[in-house]
Amino acid sequence: MFKRSNRLHALGGAMPRAGAFGRRGLLLTTAMLGLGLAQMVRGQTQTIRIGAPLPMTGALSPEGLRLKQGNDLWAETVNKAGGIKVGGSRTKVEMVYVDYQSNTPKAVQLIDKLITQDKVDFIFSPFGSGATKASSSVTEKNGVPNIAATASSVEVFDQGHKYIFGLLTPNNTLIEPTSELASARLPAHARVAVLARNDLFPTAVANELEKAVKKRGYEIVYNEKYAIGALDHAGALVQIKAAKPDWIFVSGYTNDLILVRKQMKDAGLNAPVVTMITGPSYREFVESLGPLAENVSSAVWWHPASKYVGTDIFGSTAKYVETFKARFGTEPDYANAVASLSGVVLQAAIEKAGSVDRTAVRDQLAKLKMETFFGPVAFDEKGMVNSYLPPVFQIQGGKTAVLYPPAIATGKLR
Amino acid sequence: MVFLQVLLNGLLLGGIYACIGAGFSLVWGVVNIINILHGSFIVLGGYGAWYAYTHWGVHPFVALLPLGVLGYAGGWLLQQYVIRHVMAAKVLVTLTLTFGLNLLLNNLMTFGFSADFRKVVLPSQEPISWAALTLPTDRTLSMVAAVAVVVLTHTLMTRTMLGRSIVAVRMDPQAAQLMGVDVPRTFAATFGLGTSLALIAGAILSPIFPISPVVADGYLAKAFIVCVLGGLGSLPGVLAGGVLLGVVESVGSYFLGSSHALTLSYVLLLAFLLLRPQGLMGKKGFE
Repeated sequence: MFKRSNRLHALGGAMPRAGAFGRRGLLLTTAMLGLGLAQMVRGQTQTIRIGAPLPMTGALSPEGLRLKQGNDLWAETVNKAGGIKVGGSRTKVEMVYVDYQSNTPKAVQLIDKLITQDKVDFIFSPFGSGATKASSSVTEKNGVPNIAATASSVEVFDQGHKYIFGLLTPNNTLIEPTSELASARLPAHARVAVLARNDLFPTAVANELEKAVKKRGYEIVYNEKYAIGALDHAGALVQIKAAKPDWIFVSGYTNDLILVRKQMKDAGLNAPVVTMITGPSYREFVESLGPLAENVSSAVWWHPASKYVGTDIFGSTAKYVETFKARFGTEPDYANAVASLSGVVLQAAIEKAGSVDRTAVRDQLAKLKMETFFGPVAFDEKGMVNSYLPPVFQIQGGKTAVLYPPAIATGKLR
Repeated sequence: MVFLQVLLNGLLLGGIYACIGAGFSLVWGVVNIINILHGSFIVLGGYGAWYAYTHWGVHPFVALLPLGVLGYAGGWLLQQYVIRHVMAAKVLVTLTLTFGLNLLLNNLMTFGFSADFRKVVLPSQEPISWAALTLPTDRTLSMVAAVAVVVLTHTLMTRTMLGRSIVAVRMDPQAAQLMGVDVPRTFAATFGLGTSLALIAGAILSPIFPISPVVADGYLAKAFIVCVLGGLGSLPGVLAGGVLLGVVESVGSYFLGSSHALTLSYVLLLAFLLLRPQGLMGKKGFE
């Protein structure tokens, strides 16, 4: 209040003298204004702006929050170190988040807005294969590098787009090693039951499993999908029990998998091998199920138990986990980590290009080869990462034992 | 024997559905408000029970008592100070208001508890086995608790002054007012009771279903179907509607496959809306 009246007073006081100053005063003011504007404009180009449409509300909000944590951690760590090296100087990064409310068409609109109105330099994709695929045509049209943290379906990358780069290996890279490990504990003509959520990713991994199972000469004795939002699986489980499977494979979101595992116990159903994708990689799966989580195996693109050493800003898996824990108080999961990796990869490309020119950065992304806390990163000609082996793991004694790849294994399948 | 097991599963599920639908039916039937907040209230009850269990070791079936009281008070205040102002407006206005409040509550819960899934993990209980049938212990207990709550509420409605005035207002608000019933207060009490039932349902379901703000819509959808099947505002109807839905879903998913269980429940909803809009136990002309 005081400040305001003082300023008003000062302005009022200056008024009568304005005439005396005349044109010189006006010129001076204009010049100062111009200087200020120039400073503002330079201020804007002095940060690298990254647009990230995230599902902060709606059905995908748990994933949205995870991605945001991962992105934030990278941006904060980079800025603490002074920023990204562009040519000779360091430039800070700024994340520009928008909420697309778990609604894919809205994500596409918002990306358009981020590029044309908010003038962001680069884009981090929305969540999942479907939304990423939809978003990639907008970034392609505008020539903006688009880093896709959570798209694992090959269909996203075979559209001939040049500006999209995916950080998850294809779905079959999760299923093949899982099947190979399971086969050690299964009879020659194993009976397999598959229950999948009727949704893009869960159905895709179930299809991959079918292929892997048939290749090994196993018999599929049950193969059904359950509806999104199902509150009860008792009917399916009664049928699975009657089919006497050696291997039970369930795909779905964490809440589905918690419910299925709980109801398996209720129905008195078990099998030598139980695999669930990807719920067991989240700590709440283990916390919510307690002893029931034991011996459930799974596969996911990254796990905090991995032991990679990288040239990125985090340095190693262990250091990444430590930094994440210090910042958020919990252990990171693959969604957190891959969101941080988006930043790591973009940073490397910008530093190699020595500029924020989108085409130059895109070209550097295409030929990138680097070791990171997440594992080695390099892209194939479609822009999909093909350089690391996703870990297969199992819950043993309430903890995660990594079974595959051998280089980081901490246990054997039980 | 397998069919008997499927039927048994359906009955258990039905009791749980009745519990989900009770408060919603009461509020819709009496206050004539489609309470979009209902699903989020159930989740809130779940969080209450989860918090009490993990921090103080209080069993959800004990925690449901204070949660019920808190729910009543909260619902009463919400009706008295917020919803009352739009009572006379068209149904779309009250719908929009509860829709907006639901967004607020749901996002506050996401903010406070995060969207991670939680669950009350009771000490491992072996399912009860009898011949070739298995009865999941916690589902059975929750079903018994759910039915007990509905029956108790029904007794409250038929035996107490408050209950009688709620029933009277439900039948004819003008006549009830002429007979000396304080209609605005009865509305507030009914909304309080509805909220209380939602929070209690949340506590009862906490050992069965994962708790997260994102499951609220699923509960709301179930409540809606149960309500239409059973008849608005009728507690015996809620029980009948819940059991019907549970059995149809369970038997349907056995014969047609899991992916069609949900489709079947919506087909049932449509069939009732077309052929018997007053529901199983609702009064005709009251739909």
